[in-house]
Amino acid sequence: MAGNTNRKRNVVRKSNTRPTGFYYVIGAIAVIGASILGYTLLRKPAPIVGTEVKYDPATSGPAQGYTIGKADAPVEIVEFADFECPGCGQFAAVTEPDVRKRLIEPGLARMTFYDFPLPQHKNSQGAHNAAACAGDQNKFWEMHDRLFGTQDQWNTQATDNPKPFFQKYAADIGLNATLWEQCYDSRKHQGRILANVHEGERRQVGSTPTFIIGGKLYPGALPYDVLKAIVDSATQKPAAQ
Amino acid sequence: MIVAALSLAGIFVALYLLLYKLGLIGALSCSVGSCETVNSSRWATFLGLPVAGWGVAWYVGMFVLALVSTGEKFAQSSLISLILLLVAATGLVFSLYLTYIELFRIHAICQWCVVSAILVTIIFLVSVSEYRERKAGSEY
Repeated sequence: MAGNTNRKRNVVRKSNTRPTGFYYVIGAIAVIGASILGYTLLRKPAPIVGTEVKYDPATSGPAQGYTIGKADAPVEIVEFADFECPGCGQFAAVTEPDVRKRLIEPGLARMTFYDFPLPQHKNSQGAHNAAACAGDQNKFWEMHDRLFGTQDQWNTQATDNPKPFFQKYAADIGLNATLWEQCYDSRKHQGRILANVHEGERRQVGSTPTFIIGGKLYPGALPYDVLKAIVDSATQKPAAQ
Repeated sequence: MIVAALSLAGIFVALYLLLYKLGLIGALSCSVGSCETVNSSRWATFLGLPVAGWGVAWYVGMFVLALVSTGEKFAQSSLISLILLLVAATGLVFSLYLTYIELFRIHAICQWCVVSAILVTIIFLVSVSEYRERKAGSEY
């Protein structure tokens, strides 16, 4: 292989050197690739406009969300979320504390959470059951916050068996461990969770988190300012849930 | 040369998947789609890093190697094309593994991963033929 260096140098084979066309091809690929990627990255997000969703209230199933806030608040923020979805986790950690403090506590809005576990998140069904069982002991929201805050400990990437994690969170928030475990093991609330998923599908929810405010659908983790503006504009109209 | 061009294209495909995985492209949300399923599965990280990141590194490596191998200094070197071939083979094996995982474990196919698998396969085939050509050339 190395012995023939001199001979090889003399036999210049065209296929192994770079013709000028090569630089054009490489340049073209670089320019096209960089522009597509740059465009995708820098593209301004479309302005957030809610979609009017029409559905027949008569087909409503036994779906039942979890509500926080005053029952007579003028606007309801409906959230369809998946405990294992990073986007939902981000919303819960970054935006939701503000929403609770500035919209829900003063009575400007109330918030209802509906389960929407996605099929690719294998541990999410368990997480939704864990939260529903905490709900039996009136601690749904404590478990909700705990689950979103610890996503990377119990998600599909982290473990095949999330139950011990949920058990620990249940203990941490002061639940009766035996009752919680009985509820969790029997999948007592599976029917409710499925009904909530169906409710989401019926309302054309296709991703999580998705918000429904004043009858309009807003997919994606909304920043606080956007959410506040939507709530404000919904307050001015009679609630059209 | 073909390897360099294909690797460069591959860099962009892998970079896109990496940015997507890191949440820098698209709204921060989860939906039911095959790429979502594949990219959010447990197999989307390898040795603690996103698979797409390994992809970017591999394509960059291939691109640099391919450029070096077409440079004047190594224009006839069959050693460099052997290295290129071995690295390409590693990529092919890893790609086959990922495609197996997609088909039989995750049961979902991400089209960008398929594009990458096709690129890797062509890169491998071209590397084989380039290596054989150079080897034959050096045996005159």
